Amino acid sequence: MLKYLFKRNEDIPPGTAAVFFGFSSIMWFVIGTGLGSFNAAKLAFPDFVTGTELFSFGHMRQVHVLAVIFGWISMAFAMAMMYITPALGNTKLWSEKLGVWNCFLWNIGLSLGLTLLWFGISSGREYSDFPWFIDLYIAAFIALPMAFNVWMTIITRRTQGIYTTNWFFGAGVFMVTIVFIVGNSPEWFNLTGLSEAYMTWWFAHNVLGLWITPIAAAIAYYTVPKVTGNPLYSHRIGHLHFWSVVVFYSTPAAHHLMSAPLPEWLKSFASVEGVLILVPAIAFVSNLLLTMTGKWHMFVENVEIKFTITGVMMAIPLNMQGGFQQTRAINWYVHGTGWIVAHAHLALLGFSTFLEGAAVYYGLQTLLRRKLYSLALANFHFWFLLIGFSIYWISMTIAGLIQGAGKIYEVPYIDVVIAEHPYMIARWIGGTMVFTGNVVWLYNMYMTAKAGTEIPEGRLPHELAYER
Amino acid sequence: MAWKFDKPLYSLADDSQNDAATHVWEGESLGGISEDNNRLPRPVIMLLGLTIVTAFLITFPLWGARPNAEIYAEYVQMMDSPAVQAISGDEAKMEYLVSNVKDTSLKSFQERHPLTMDDLRMIKDQVIELQGQGADLGEYSVIGAKVVLANFEGNLITDPVTGKTRPQAKQPWWDKGYTIDVFYVLYFCIAVLIVIKRLPHYSWKPDHSIAH
Repeated sequence: MLKYLFKRNEDIPPGTAAVFFGFSSIMWFVIGTGLGSFNAAKLAFPDFVTGTELFSFGHMRQVHVLAVIFGWISMAFAMAMMYITPALGNTKLWSEKLGVWNCFLWNIGLSLGLTLLWFGISSGREYSDFPWFIDLYIAAFIALPMAFNVWMTIITRRTQGIYTTNWFFGAGVFMVTIVFIVGNSPEWFNLTGLSEAYMTWWFAHNVLGLWITPIAAAIAYYTVPKVTGNPLYSHRIGHLHFWSVVVFYSTPAAHHLMSAPLPEWLKSFASVEGVLILVPAIAFVSNLLLTMTGKWHMFVENVEIKFTITGVMMAIPLNMQGGFQQTRAINWYVHGTGWIVAHAHLALLGFSTFLEGAAVYYGLQTLLRRKLYSLALANFHFWFLLIGFSIYWISMTIAGLIQGAGKIYEVPYIDVVIAEHPYMIARWIGGTMVFTGNVVWLYNMYMTAKAGTEIPEGRLPHELAYER
Repeated sequence: MAWKFDKPLYSLADDSQNDAATHVWEGESLGGISEDNNRLPRPVIMLLGLTIVTAFLITFPLWGARPNAEIYAEYVQMMDSPAVQAISGDEAKMEYLVSNVKDTSLKSFQERHPLTMDDLRMIKDQVIELQGQGADLGEYSVIGAKVVLANFEGNLITDPVTGKTRPQAKQPWWDKGYTIDVFYVLYFCIAVLIVIKRLPHYSWKPDHSIAH
């Protein structure tokens, strides 16, 4: 990467930034899930690594969360944007050099931010844990350069139309920048009390709703038609999806605070909007599954489609949970329990990870012009990810229901801890499977770059998957 | 940006705009990807309608809202009576209170929000003070040991304690949040309808062989 930082833009091969983002994202995924496995082990086996403050759960938890969100998910998004945005506009990335610098500064800033969090320097606000100067760094050197590159690539496209994926990309980078700057306002302006709580959850909700969810969906809008060769089922359903994300996902922040002393009318408003996130979900799932018509055999045969359609189908339980768990009727029971942890992992490790995993698989093969080194290892990765995630999700959901019952019926806390113990072990097993799968993935992609069979001109990687 | 309003549910664009749109649609390849012009399937439209109706219905009853002080007023009234004082043990006292309330209209709320004698002792003085001021206990939430004015904003009333005009702190039938939601959803549906009706009608099927 370093050799490209000071080269002229014209001398940097197209796709360089995307390749660096792709490998960075996999590395951060390995680190993030490794930390997750470590943290889960501490919950499953309380005597595991004790006596060192730096390795206590309180120091490690947020490092795992932000490594996964800013390292894996967001860098995989950046990778997808750096190669899909120009591809859809029949053009090159506006500036490869900006992209390479963006990737370099992203890795530096994230390493610094996570180290500070590890040492306990934190804003203390969930999901926006970074201290204010790291927030400034992220806005200036991560979010804005990425946004600028995406916007300029869309503006300088060589097509008249803009494909659905690029609507989401263009809007997503705008929305996440606003969400990041406004959502961190408690730190800029020292807001406290309800204002701080509301802004914290406005950020946390929208970083999911206006960044992770729409960008992951945008990737699926590219992967499925591209790999299957089918036209996207409906341009007009794409409109419904896009606008319902913008309208309905941006408003329900208050549903994270149903028990807080916010005005009740605001909670009512947010709660209705919270159920209405099913509108974009229905539009998205129906559009993508109908696009698969006649190509369902690829769900079994093709790695990218396997990942993508699994992610698309996870949008169903994800949004059913998300839509209804925030209503007053259910929230009083599940709030503050492992159910929510399970739901967050369904969103990040289930739905979005499977979608962007496909983008990284497909993008790296396309950009490197190398066939996947091992299809068997890719399938191993898929199944370890899916089974590991499922164990995690199911065990944490059950643990959450136990905690909810304990909370409502005032069961002594230690009894709840004992009742949850088997599920904490299952959580660790599931998380460790995910981590193992990711280590295999990193090896597979490294070997793809190093020793993968070259793809001849005019062919696409998935066309050669079963050819020797 | 010409508009056509003769058949608004068919199309809001005139023929020349539709021709231009179909020309672009079929004529250019977006990185090798093409798009169809299918309508939203009817079962999906029904599902969306069901979702919108459900969103309002499932959030309307205030299950999960905090208990109000009115629920416990009769407990407070009875807790110092000789009959209760004669019972030994807090659990037995509470059982007596629960099974001897006369106003059965609040029974379901009392079952949903049980409390202990210790909880009751903590809110007792506050409830009695509010009753003495002539306050409507239904407007006050019980949050742990505190009895505070609820966060609802209903019809304007004259506060029985201060004499000032303020919104009633009870869930009104028209809740401001739901009212905003009704208009919000309506505007959304109209806006998306306009966006979609500006596209070529769904009966037109693009020919994907032209650009590829």
